Amino acid sequence: MKLRMPEMPPATLLGALGAYNLLPAIVFMPTRRRCDQAASEAAAMRRDARDDRREARRDFMREAVEQHPEIRNHRHWDTIIRGGVASHHAGHIPAWKMVIEKLMSAGLLDAIFATATVAAGVDFPARTVVMTVADARTAGGWRQLSASELQQMTGRAGRRGRDNVGFVIVAPGLHQDPQRIAELLKAQPDPLISQFRATYTTLLNLLDAFGNFAQVRAIAEKSFAHREAALQITQLEKLYDEAKQRIELQLKAAGCDLPLSVVIGFERLVSARTRLQETRPQTRAEVVHRWLDEVVQPGRVVGIGRSGRRLVLITEKRAGNVRGIREDGRSASFALERIGRVYAPVYRQSDEFVEEAFADVRQRGKELLLPEPRLRDAQGEEGDAISALDDRIESILPVALAAEDKLRCTQALWTVFSDAEALERATRRSERLRAEVWEPFHRRARVLATFGYLDFDAEKITERGRWLADLHVDRPLLVGEALEAGLFKALEFHRLAGVMAALTADEEREYGPLELEDSLLNALSQFDETGFKVATEEWKLGIEPSPELNFSAAAAAARWATGAEWSELVRETGAEEGDLFRMLSRTGEALLQIAGLRHAHPDAARVAAVAADAVLREPVR
Amino acid sequence: MRRSRDRVVDKKRRSGNKKRSRAPEPPRRPARDVSAGGGIAESRLPHHPGRDVKKLLEGIGTPPVAVFQPDPFQLEALAALEFEDVLVTAPTGSGKTWIAREEIRRLLDAGRRAWYTTPLKALTNSKYQEFSEEFGAERVGILTGDRKDNTDAQLIVGTTEIYRNQLFDSLRGGSDVNADLVVLDEAHYLGDEDRGHVWEEAIILTPPRIRLLLLSATIGNADEFATWIAELRGVHCGVVTRPGARPVPLRAAMILPDKRLLPLVSDHGKLNPEIARLLEESAKESRPPRSTRRRFY
Repeated sequence: MKLRMPEMPPATLLGALGAYNLLPAIVFMPTRRRCDQAASEAAAMRRDARDDRREARRDFMREAVEQHPEIRNHRHWDTIIRGGVASHHAGHIPAWKMVIEKLMSAGLLDAIFATATVAAGVDFPARTVVMTVADARTAGGWRQLSASELQQMTGRAGRRGRDNVGFVIVAPGLHQDPQRIAELLKAQPDPLISQFRATYTTLLNLLDAFGNFAQVRAIAEKSFAHREAALQITQLEKLYDEAKQRIELQLKAAGCDLPLSVVIGFERLVSARTRLQETRPQTRAEVVHRWLDEVVQPGRVVGIGRSGRRLVLITEKRAGNVRGIREDGRSASFALERIGRVYAPVYRQSDEFVEEAFADVRQRGKELLLPEPRLRDAQGEEGDAISALDDRIESILPVALAAEDKLRCTQALWTVFSDAEALERATRRSERLRAEVWEPFHRRARVLATFGYLDFDAEKITERGRWLADLHVDRPLLVGEALEAGLFKALEFHRLAGVMAALTADEEREYGPLELEDSLLNALSQFDETGFKVATEEWKLGIEPSPELNFSAAAAAARWATGAEWSELVRETGAEEGDLFRMLSRTGEALLQIAGLRHAHPDAARVAAVAADAVLREPVR
Repeated sequence: MRRSRDRVVDKKRRSGNKKRSRAPEPPRRPARDVSAGGGIAESRLPHHPGRDVKKLLEGIGTPPVAVFQPDPFQLEALAALEFEDVLVTAPTGSGKTWIAREEIRRLLDAGRRAWYTTPLKALTNSKYQEFSEEFGAERVGILTGDRKDNTDAQLIVGTTEIYRNQLFDSLRGGSDVNADLVVLDEAHYLGDEDRGHVWEEAIILTPPRIRLLLLSATIGNADEFATWIAELRGVHCGVVTRPGARPVPLRAAMILPDKRLLPLVSDHGKLNPEIARLLEESAKESRPPRSTRRRFY
């Protein structure tokens, strides 16, 4: 339940905290902008207050500038010196944040307005932590704080050796929730949950190290994620052994010396027959629904209604419902049953290709149409299948068996049937559990094999795979393919910086309105084209699509690589310093990785080395 | 614990008499910190503080300067490291780094080697600086995506990704991870959606002969985590937790727009009835109160 109350102006809040002797404080704010605003506002109101630490702060900052000249013209300079407060969040460069942390440890600040990211970073505690809201801001919107997040934040309250007590203060606001904060404070910390996953880099390195898939699989099965599954598998193996023992005893008692394989075969055939019979379609609607469920998929164009004249390009399918884009560009969402026609080609779903897809269907509609199945055909097919199964069930016992033995043993097979079912269930479930951790690696191995980085049958990485294994960048396969296509060696160094920035930058982040020059744009679209090739192969094997390239990052990085001043770059992009810093630093690291491929790709490595030098200069170190 | 009592005593002696040993939060008090000191400024308060507020704020202020004494959990962790891998879970600022530093000191003095990994470049840089001052620059090296200094040093500080990459290289026969101890700082990053898998790979691939020290924030399943590590490495992994979790006790309160301070919970641990009443009133109102403040949401 939200407690809607007017928010206290930051200066008033600090005044009150001061009166209760609750300063210094870290005031957690939901967004970066609010941190900056609150700090400026508080500083403006407190400016004239007597504070004998003002001079100390000034001296401190002067010293800091000598070490980090890039903070000289920081817009919050005055806020700190005159107001004794600061804002601290990921939008600032590391040098600035460090200065603030040091000021705080030296006892020279009364308050820091910070986002939750501080809680995860470097250690600088205060007497009091103020919560202005019980939610956290994420890329996708607002969500409630978790117990661990709140504990990380309150962990900053109370300085060891300098405070007897630490405080967490819930401040009023329009979205405050004291009840929830009280509950979270009492809650157990969240458990650590494994995020183990398959990556190309891990797969290539492990396969090269161990020389076969079995051992790579064994490593994957050691993961924390798989631990729970491994415990279940042990249980299932026990169940299997028990069922097997019971089957053997019963067969022996019946005097039937049959191998386990016959028992399992019998169970499989009978179960398959039962399933077929149960699922045999009874109506035309059923047949059509099953067919639609099979053929309707993202990227295909369908016709809606019986006439099928209104076309929609499917973008998403889930639980009997589909979403798509109509010809007029608007989105549509409807039940699977409403689809009257399905066209065979699978189109790319991005905006530019939508029109092409519709034009194609309008033009060649008839030849592209997928034929709808008929009830009689569907039933007939399955009827044939059932009688074929009957034949095989009849002939499962060894031919040499005498007629009376045959009868007895058939009875015995039915007696152990439920145990055989249990045994098969255990096998299937443990196979499924084991597949869960391995399947993603298996798929990636297939993709790597398609592009020649790995020999799937020999279970070895190729010459190409060897250097790709050493390339520690985001989306190594895409970068590898771009290298193979000779894309990078032909580029000017600052354009290569731009291309790598587009890859390594956060997908959602804006790095300002700088214009892309034509040759950089050209390089980016070639890179994007390579990305599409890779993504298509990945998609075929059910690997999730990778994030889009960030073109605004490319422009900013290229500008920086051509020698712009830091202050110029910040001004021209209008982006936050911290974001630019992180993006360029990661771009530089990625370039260094390419620069390391001196043997496999000497030309590209040379360009990358120059680009890395151009990117990794002060203050990006 | 018992088997290692001598060591504990030894540690106490060592940390008592050397200027190199530092407290995780040095108890020095800035000369001009006007906010320090005990008591509340009643004259500046908007309301006369009631009994509950006085109780809430009781004892506020700075403790007397004390000689640094390691906490029992720190000594316990050090003692355990002699025999097994150790997972330390405690909140930031409670002295996890002290454990790592003392163990590293012991190893370096014995001519052995260690790796110290952090999740962030900024943290790596600050640890590099801290350890260089502590152990001497010639004994410490740094490895990040864009910085390589003194990489043959006895102690290497670096990002977890780089450490994991070294493990890959050593498995592929390129080089050897030459360390007797690996410290994984902020080990709870294993749960990070994007990068967590790297921590898991690092733990799985670190040869069992190398001692592991994992420093983590408090987590709900520390025992399960440690059991997993022990199972896969075949070395027992002890769990050391700071009893009472926090190094400095925490009290919670709510401040109201009229600057009154209310304890957040009552003595029974329930939400303060006065706050509960405010919540009810707030729920009754159909519209939020007009605020003179800007709204950002």
